[in-house]
Amino acid sequence: MKFNLFRAADGTEGGSPAAPPVIAAPPVVHNSAPMGPTKIAARDVSVFYSGKQALYDVSLDIPDKTVTALIGPSGCGKSTFLRTMNRMNDTIPGCKVTGRIEMDGDDINAKSVDPVLLRARVGMVFQKPNPFPKTIYENVAYGPRIHGLAASKSELDGVVEASLKRAGLWEEVADRLHSPGTGLSGGQQQRLVIARAIAVEPEVILMDEPCSALDPIATARIEELIDELRERYCIVIVTHSMAQAARVSQRTAFFHMGRLVETGDTEDIFTNPRERRTLDYITGRFG
Amino acid sequence: MTDTSVTPEIRARRLRAGLKRRYAREGRFKLYGLLAIGVAVGFLLLLLGRIIEQGHTAFYTHTITVPVYMDPARVDRAYPQGTNFELLVAEQQLARMGVADDAAGTKAAAMRSLFSSELKFAAAARIQRNPDLIGQTVPIAAPVSDDADLFFKHEISRDTPADQRRISDEQIDWLDRMKASGQVAAHFNTGLFTKGDSTEPELAGVLGAVVGSALMLLVTAFIAIPLGVGAALYLEEFAPRNRLTDLIEVNINNLAAVPSIIYGLLGLALFINWMHLPRASPLVGGLVLALMALPTIIIATRSSLKAVPPSIREAALAMGASKTQTVFQHTLPLAMPGVMTGAIISMAHALGETAPLLLIGMVSFIPGIPASFGEPTGALPSLVYIWENASERAFHERTAAAILVLLAFMIVMNAAAIFLRRRFERRW
Repeated sequence: MKFNLFRAADGTEGGSPAAPPVIAAPPVVHNSAPMGPTKIAARDVSVFYSGKQALYDVSLDIPDKTVTALIGPSGCGKSTFLRTMNRMNDTIPGCKVTGRIEMDGDDINAKSVDPVLLRARVGMVFQKPNPFPKTIYENVAYGPRIHGLAASKSELDGVVEASLKRAGLWEEVADRLHSPGTGLSGGQQQRLVIARAIAVEPEVILMDEPCSALDPIATARIEELIDELRERYCIVIVTHSMAQAARVSQRTAFFHMGRLVETGDTEDIFTNPRERRTLDYITGRFG
Repeated sequence: MTDTSVTPEIRARRLRAGLKRRYAREGRFKLYGLLAIGVAVGFLLLLLGRIIEQGHTAFYTHTITVPVYMDPARVDRAYPQGTNFELLVAEQQLARMGVADDAAGTKAAAMRSLFSSELKFAAAARIQRNPDLIGQTVPIAAPVSDDADLFFKHEISRDTPADQRRISDEQIDWLDRMKASGQVAAHFNTGLFTKGDSTEPELAGVLGAVVGSALMLLVTAFIAIPLGVGAALYLEEFAPRNRLTDLIEVNINNLAAVPSIIYGLLGLALFINWMHLPRASPLVGGLVLALMALPTIIIATRSSLKAVPPSIREAALAMGASKTQTVFQHTLPLAMPGVMTGAIISMAHALGETAPLLLIGMVSFIPGIPASFGEPTGALPSLVYIWENASERAFHERTAAAILVLLAFMIVMNAAAIFLRRRFERRW
């Protein structure tokens, strides 16, 4: 079974007729935003953990300047797929990735591609906020430092300030940049981690359930931030919350049992899914 | 459907009865715990108490000051070391106390045995410094002999039958008279900390052994810590998981359990017989102890590396840090308190280790204080062993004192471990 549901990158496929929403999702507000060209193109990507297949022939186009949500029940392979895009799976012993993933047309798994450089272009935010046990400043400055991006102290200061501002954390931490990053609240830590990721000016930001450890207010703050960041970055977010997918994303891909079941505009997926399994999942019949 | 045979009352009673049993069990367990701790603390106090009781007398000693008439007939201006000052002093002391000697000079000999041989060196040194003192009466201070010291410390008592003690009734009378005349003074035994080993208990000190142990530990630390931490880092963070690394891991764990005397044999064969390094030197001792400490340090480092949350590694890798940057900028600093603790505890173990030292020649009489890593030296545990085996009774209190010094050394090291852990620990 092959799902050939890629929407043309320029978005010409158009929206679906106004069907009544199948779940009581909050109004989807971002779908009118323009989408960029395809940033990442995955073709027949399979992942094996010590010989056991976890992902089956996933082909998916991820547009630039867009939030793409990966949804699906636990163990469906959405996080695994996310981690193929910055080759974090390389760090897991016994993990093998097949297929082709292109970023701007270049194979990221090619021998000539250094994962260290790739990860400077593809930032990642994890489920649990994981700031380094260093100061707020040091956390944000870490990326530019190891990649040698800032030539001087004042330049680095500028990068830190700009990143914290863009992550919406500047006002809260400006007077305590040199206090520990781990002393912040969970939501602030997650924004700090986002600031740390964008300090190296990545092109893509991968988010693995970034709000699942946060309270609703912190979650709302992060979601606003994701919406703002969309203007500059290609964002891929794994989420368990369908309401969140509906709120923040313009494109949604539904994974089940290691396969990509359906992908499309978020509005279409939530209002007019083509696949039975998608409908069952988003209406809460399993998951 | 509810089971009608079990009424709510019966249920409640069963619950209560069960609860009682559960609490009783908890109470018993707590009691066992307290008993175990009580026994452990009791034994510890007994041990410490015994050592302190035996050893505290070694920390003070008695000195006698005698006016010596530097008889020009007997003191050679050019060669004062040749003078038998002990006999000279003994005779003068006898005369001063109005005791007549017999023709064989047995009383002078008996008096002389109450002074330490240090008296001779002290007197000769005075004359060497100032030969014009010949013909004058000069007060010379020197330790009393070990037996006299024991008498003043009430370790030898008049009540003991005369044939079971090393000083006679007459000597005891003399000692009492000298003490009454104010010639004898008790003071802190600085010599214990400023001198090397000696065959004379009153002149023996622990400095040689302390310096030897310290030099040895330096060698051990400089070899075992970098090697152990490096090996652990590689095994834990870089090495692939396969048969070979599993085998290495099992063997490291086994090595940690190898009896230390085996390491002594290895050191003897490898460092002394094959590499011809100087025997009984801090270098060889440190190398042997380093071999012994390595497995412990590797195990401690690996377990503290394992305890670093994987989220930190992931964060660093996802930021584009290389493996090495991740390890040295994040994992290792976070594991540092554990690494430090493991390293210092294994150093403390090494400090107290005696068996390997026996085999590399460190249990021989070495009076000097080592000034380099290549000279023969003693070590604190081997000094304890040597002194315990000495026949002079005065060495027994010094054995206990040496044990106390060893314990103090260890307490300092453990305090350093705690300090370093606090220092490196990031509480944020």
